[in-house]
Amino acid sequence: MSLEIKNLHVRTEEKEILKGVDLVVRRGETHALMGPNGSGKSTLANTIMGNPNYEVTEGQILLNGEDITEAEPDERARAGVFMAFQYPATIPGVSVANFLRTAVNAKREEPISVKEFGQILRANMELLKVDPQFTSRYLNEGFSGGEKKRAEILQMAMLKPEFAVLDETDSGLDIDALRIVADGVNALRGPEMGTLIITHYTRILNYVRPDFVHIMLDGRIVREGGPELADHLEEQGYDWIREEVGAGAA
Amino acid sequence: MPPSFLEERRKAALEVYEREPIPTWRRSGFWTTSLRKLRLDELGPRRYDPVASLDELSPVVTDALRGEELAGLIVQRGASTVYTEVDPALAGQGLIVMPLEQAVEEHTELVERWYMKRLSEKEGKFPAASAAFWTGGAFVYVPRDIAIDKPLQVVYLIDEPGTAQYAHTLAIVDEGSKAYLREYCLAPDFEGQALHAGGFELYCRPSSNVKLAHLQDWGAGEVHDISTKRVEIAADAHCGWVPIYLGGRLTKQTLDIITAERGADMRHNGLYFTERDEHLDVFTTDLHEQGHTTGDTVFKGALTGESRASYEGLIEIVHGAQETNTYLQTHSMLLSPKAKADAIPSLIVKTDSVSASHGGTVGEIDEEQVFYMQTRGVPRLEAIRILVEGYFEEIVQKLDDEVLEAVVRERIAGKLTEAAAEVEEYIAQR
Ligand SMILES: Nc1ncnc2c1ncn2[C@@H]1O[C@H](COP(=O)(O)OP(=O)(O)OP(=O)(O)O)[C@@H](O)[C@H]1O
Ligand SMILES: [Mg+2]
Repeated sequence: MSLEIKNLHVRTEEKEILKGVDLVVRRGETHALMGPNGSGKSTLANTIMGNPNYEVTEGQILLNGEDITEAEPDERARAGVFMAFQYPATIPGVSVANFLRTAVNAKREEPISVKEFGQILRANMELLKVDPQFTSRYLNEGFSGGEKKRAEILQMAMLKPEFAVLDETDSGLDIDALRIVADGVNALRGPEMGTLIITHYTRILNYVRPDFVHIMLDGRIVREGGPELADHLEEQGYDWIREEVGAGAA
Repeated sequence: MPPSFLEERRKAALEVYEREPIPTWRRSGFWTTSLRKLRLDELGPRRYDPVASLDELSPVVTDALRGEELAGLIVQRGASTVYTEVDPALAGQGLIVMPLEQAVEEHTELVERWYMKRLSEKEGKFPAASAAFWTGGAFVYVPRDIAIDKPLQVVYLIDEPGTAQYAHTLAIVDEGSKAYLREYCLAPDFEGQALHAGGFELYCRPSSNVKLAHLQDWGAGEVHDISTKRVEIAADAHCGWVPIYLGGRLTKQTLDIITAERGADMRHNGLYFTERDEHLDVFTTDLHEQGHTTGDTVFKGALTGESRASYEGLIEIVHGAQETNTYLQTHSMLLSPKAKADAIPSLIVKTDSVSASHGGTVGEIDEEQVFYMQTRGVPRLEAIRILVEGYFEEIVQKLDDEVLEAVVRERIAGKLTEAAAEVEEYIAQR
């Protein structure tokens, strides 16, 4: 059971952003993807979900061996892929609770009963220490940065994906919120879920220990290793990698 | 014999009607509402016998009313009142719900006091037409100091092409009372033309609290609807008005709310959804005749097909109406490349020391929002439907009326399904 990215090349109308990315996340594994601003991390996440703004010019995305490169985003989601957005969209007039119910039902043949939905929602809200009033607000409308991130994780908890990509879910969270979100992720991961955490900071990785760390630079994964790679980055920054990669290329 | 005040008014109206040419409403820019396709000579009033049950009428009536318990009901089909009903207990407390024709005879003084106090035949050919030719009509009088929660319902039904329906509703909610009034304009889908020319007037007396909803759904036939609706709010009274436009070949509406005395408060929340080749032209005026009054208007629309919709909203604060606090906002959402919308808020303030603001936008559904919802497993079309519903939710929930809310949501969903392919393509292209 895996999410496999094979030689992925992606471009927008203006330029090529991903220039051959290979990455395999198996169920039960936690991966961290790091890299400087603009290196292509969000592009990878969006392409995994099928964002129509990004065109795959070469390569494949395989879910449990099946090619989903051309699948509609909602098909991918129903097949078990999830992304927590770096910048989630606002959905005016649709409450968090209604949205969650719609999303949960999208995966099911028969709609979930009000009772069962309420139970699952309450449990997950407790897990993520979400205020009960939160769910009657319109999704992301007027949410603070931290609230948006928490709403993303709440959706993940409700949808129980097989593979989750968390795009900078830790950015903009205060220490307490970070802890809560990290606890939430820890509660959800396990043998059933593969996780790809995109981050700039080792902070979250201290709570959610990754099995593998990948460094992206200019649309390519240029270094891979264990958690120690993240620590090394925290101390040294990206310059040493740039130098090494530059030297290699030259 | 109708009383002389009515005869005089009809005569004056007839003179205006005969003198005035068929109007064309032109506004700066590209906007024109023209009746050149309306074959007025081929239309005429149609008379019908009363029915014992609503089931004998076109199903559009029961579809909209859904068996809900009502405080009173008047159904006018074409030119004739075909059904009336009033809760006997409330009638015992003085509630009057009857055809205006009958009220003119039975409650002459009351009708004379209010009839066309705020409407005038001089406003144009069609206001004159409805004042001159109306038959049947609706009269609703809520006496002082009672609270009626169940809806007071008026229905105008057109179910045959060739119909000219001249309508007049007069409603008064007296001091300290609470009431909910609904007026529906309904037609099944038919082929051919029809006309509805309507006058509506509601007087919210001091300290009353009135909810008012209009539902217009003329179906897919060529119904032309040219109507004037006016609400006057007296001291310390409150009126929340939700007009809903779901269909009509050509709709020209003048909707005015007048806060006439201190402490009057109005909330005006409207929506429209146009499709195919429909043309809608709504002009609302929030007229503050006195200071220390408050207003809030929000109007939202969505368009598919080659439809055209224009909303113009004016806040007018007269000389000396200080300490008025008012706000107007309008939004249109284009769901098709061939639809055209116009949203024009404007402001005339003839006094100082007021707080008035307005804004207008014409927007579109964001592909980013659709993608976001898709990443949660929601198929594109459903995502679009939810987004449009969410966009209207602000207005729909103002109805605070489960039955009507369900009707509106279902019909909007139906319209989106019909236009699905076109809407999807349009959103993806941008
Ligand atoms: N939709 C788009 N249209 C045009 N350019 C884009 C688009 N999305 C991303 N880019 C460009 O592609 C490059 C990679 O962007 P991306 O958002 O993937 O970076 P990132 O690694 O997530 O950066 P950050 O750490 O700042 O979030 C940037 O130069 C960005 O400007
Ligand atoms: Mg990013």
